[in-house]
Amino acid sequence: MKHALHKMNPSVKFLLITICMFTMAFFFDPWTPFVFWIGILVLQLLFSRIDWKKWLLFMLPFFVTAFGYFWTTLVFAEDQSGPVIWSIWNVHVTETQLNHALSLSFRVLAFSSLSLLFALTTNPTTFIMSLMQQLKLSPKIAYGVMVGYQFLPVLKDEFMHIGQAQRLRGITQEKNAFQRLLGTRRVLIPMLAGAVRKAERAAFSMEARGFTGERRSSYFQVIKVGKIDTALAVVFLLVLVLSCTNRLWLDF
Amino acid sequence: MHDVIQFERVTFSYPDEENPVLQELSFSISQGERVVITGPSGCGKTTLLYLCNRLYPENCDGILSGTVKLFGKDSLYFIPGEINHRIATVFQDPDSQFCMQTVEQELAFTLENLHVNREEMDKRISEVLALTDLCEFRHAVIQSLSGGQKQRIATACALIMEPEILLLDEPIAHLDPYTAKKYIEWLDDLQHKRSITIVAIEHRLDLWGNFFERSIPLHKTEVAAPLEKRNSSKIEEISLAVNKVRDKSFLKDISFQLSRGEITVLAGPNGSGKSTLMKTLCQLIPSSGTVQPDFLGYVPQSPEFLFLTKNVRDEIGYGGGSNIDEMLSRLKLENIADAHPFAISHGQKRRVAIAAMLSDGREVILMDEPTSGQDAVALSELFQLINERAREGTTFLIVTHDMEFAYCIADTVLLMDGGSLTGKFPAKDVWSDERLLQNHHLLPPKGLMRHEACFA
Repeated sequence: MKHALHKMNPSVKFLLITICMFTMAFFFDPWTPFVFWIGILVLQLLFSRIDWKKWLLFMLPFFVTAFGYFWTTLVFAEDQSGPVIWSIWNVHVTETQLNHALSLSFRVLAFSSLSLLFALTTNPTTFIMSLMQQLKLSPKIAYGVMVGYQFLPVLKDEFMHIGQAQRLRGITQEKNAFQRLLGTRRVLIPMLAGAVRKAERAAFSMEARGFTGERRSSYFQVIKVGKIDTALAVVFLLVLVLSCTNRLWLDF
Repeated sequence: MHDVIQFERVTFSYPDEENPVLQELSFSISQGERVVITGPSGCGKTTLLYLCNRLYPENCDGILSGTVKLFGKDSLYFIPGEINHRIATVFQDPDSQFCMQTVEQELAFTLENLHVNREEMDKRISEVLALTDLCEFRHAVIQSLSGGQKQRIATACALIMEPEILLLDEPIAHLDPYTAKKYIEWLDDLQHKRSITIVAIEHRLDLWGNFFERSIPLHKTEVAAPLEKRNSSKIEEISLAVNKVRDKSFLKDISFQLSRGEITVLAGPNGSGKSTLMKTLCQLIPSSGTVQPDFLGYVPQSPEFLFLTKNVRDEIGYGGGSNIDEMLSRLKLENIADAHPFAISHGQKRRVAIAAMLSDGREVILMDEPTSGQDAVALSELFQLINERAREGTTFLIVTHDMEFAYCIADTVLLMDGGSLTGKFPAKDVWSDERLLQNHHLLPPKGLMRHEACFA
């Protein structure tokens, strides 16, 4: 049970999440995204073994964004109709405003935890393999992405080495964040020059291994769609339907 | 024996260059042969190899005249990818020839390309891993392995295609001498088992012994003067004092001293902490302990990492040095003073890097692997450069795997293993101490053996 989301077919998971996101986009009341968000969290609690500390860390910026949406909508809302329910200084918050604000921030939370659910329970290699096998993604693109993914740690090391070498030349770390950002340009140029060379070499070695970009006739690592996917699809859709119909069973 | 690769009056040029890289080249290689292609950097060895596996001319719009015949058929009549399972290639750079995460997935990728049945894949993967003695790495993550292991895995990926010809592009350039020797023995054994044709590019044949039956030299004329053992230019005056240096995790209390004009080689197995020590000395990695002086020069393996300006003159003057013109002439850089530092040759880049360090007033220079992938001409140029600077009073600490080079240039040798310093030894004591060498994955240099043979 605890592994279900990790074991789920990534393409099916991807499609389900896309459907959920599109459906959620059509609801503007605060309760639907809220119930949905809670539903996602319960799903994650029941069917995954993610590191909740990591989850919280990744969610932190989204909590801030959600609060930002909440606050700005309260203060700068255009539609100020309805009864005033709360006043602070000369800001008068009406019910419509509050509803809009809550709706927006819960939507941010729902979408971000949905994306995190996918990211934290899916192995990137398996995801691409599955895209190729279930959704017929072209091997050229699939393996291109895969090679790029393998290069990330190499590029990170290189970025560090160049930065170190340049510090030796007397370049000091700028205090100002904007200047520091401008400074990375100096590191990026030699790094990208190297990356172009690496990319060409990688392409050559793929061709030398007989890779032509045509569809494969068989896969070593077969990614299947099974019972677990059907079951989880039903659960996902149930959460979606329940949150969309919250008016019927949630009574306030 | 029939010919598997035939070149008939082949001339090849890149689209944006006037002079052809290869000119009127004819040779043939027959089945089961072990051939090495030699020649200085930039003479077209890699181009030649790419013509053999049909990556060129297709992928670079090069202009080819003459015929390249593979297995008796003109290479232009093969479709892309068709020939690659019969002619397999191991490339030079261990970092950029894999596209999957684990060894098993990488091998499976190759088999999928060849449309092998799924039932057969597992068997073939197990077979090739057993053949190459790599079973323990089956589920290992490739990027976490060492250079030597990656090179062996690349070879396994080539062999799983059951090729008739194996092309190798400087396969031992990144390995320490002991690992390189092991790799060559392993390859020798494989060739006996499978009787494949082996064509390799290599400009340093010292370690290969009798492995190759024949060599095809490109550009015979450019013969570099053989390196001579230098006389020490050491002056009794402490130039670099290192006391109990350690970093957070790996290095253990390292202390040593170097004298002015002394050239020291820092050696040890792959992953023993040589580069970490260098960076720690330059204070690029946080550490405790003291280094005197605290202003050291450092030349990384890719000197272009250091460059910040748009021409060589500015680059040398970047640190505020005043004697730029003198430095340009001392290091023979006058004629490229206005060139962009990224657009000059590798040897020139290193020269510029050293000039920049010296003009900043850094009198101790640390060099990380300056010899790897260098041909004989480049090595002798490097030797001259270091030797001349040392005579002018610069102190050098050099990391290298090249024992011939170390033998010729070093006054003293620092040996490292597992993050700690074994000690500082006079060079001649190290070369004759076989146990010490073996413990640090080194081999005695050929120069010494020749020297001893003269006296025997």
